[in-house]
Amino acid sequence: MTEGLGLVGIVLISHSAALAEGAAELVQQISGGATVVPAGGTEDGGLGTSTDRIEAAIEDADAGSGVLLIPDLGSAVLSARAVLADLAGETTARLVDAPFVEGAVAAAVAAGSGADLDAVAAAAEEARDAAKF
Amino acid sequence: MPPSSDDGAVRRVVVLPKPLHARPAGQLARLAGRHKENTILLVAGEKNANARGVLAVMAMGAVTGTEVTVTVTGPDAEAVADEAADILTAAEAVDG
Repeated sequence: MTEGLGLVGIVLISHSAALAEGAAELVQQISGGATVVPAGGTEDGGLGTSTDRIEAAIEDADAGSGVLLIPDLGSAVLSARAVLADLAGETTARLVDAPFVEGAVAAAVAAGSGADLDAVAAAAEEARDAAKF
Repeated sequence: MPPSSDDGAVRRVVVLPKPLHARPAGQLARLAGRHKENTILLVAGEKNANARGVLAVMAMGAVTGTEVTVTVTGPDAEAVADEAADILTAAEAVDG
């Protein structure tokens, strides 16, 4: 638990800017200070995903310990992959297959407590098996 | 710092003044994250959860008035158990 290195950052990629921003706000609150950056909607404010927004969000979220990307649906995955292919070798960002809200909460709590990228990704993936009640 | 046995489990029983919703669940998970060498287990009625799992803690669905037993093992278990009990008793879940 050293504060020397930055925390793992999290980018929430959604088709909707409002969804990404709302989820980021919620998750940040629960995690008590993890870095959660929304990347939602298209450049012109419509529904869809934007590689430019994703790339900018990765940059914002990167504190030197890696960045976890959590997509909502379908083409969010494709856009994220396109960005990762673009940044090949120049980023520690990783795309994870996880439920959007629960995965983000679990990942952010792990990241906020100083977990490394592997552990943060695992926390997000485990959220798939977590019952809501 | 009071001496504490490394393998002695420490228990605290609290009655929730507020529901154990997202925010306190997050605080417990962060506490567990800060004390990786400890195991913090919560039991509420039939439900139980490791504090490390924020989703599992929320899924207990513990409401106001629920008696929650916190069991902590590992080094400094007394202090960790006190901190966990503080989070539970201060659970000011304004909006969950």
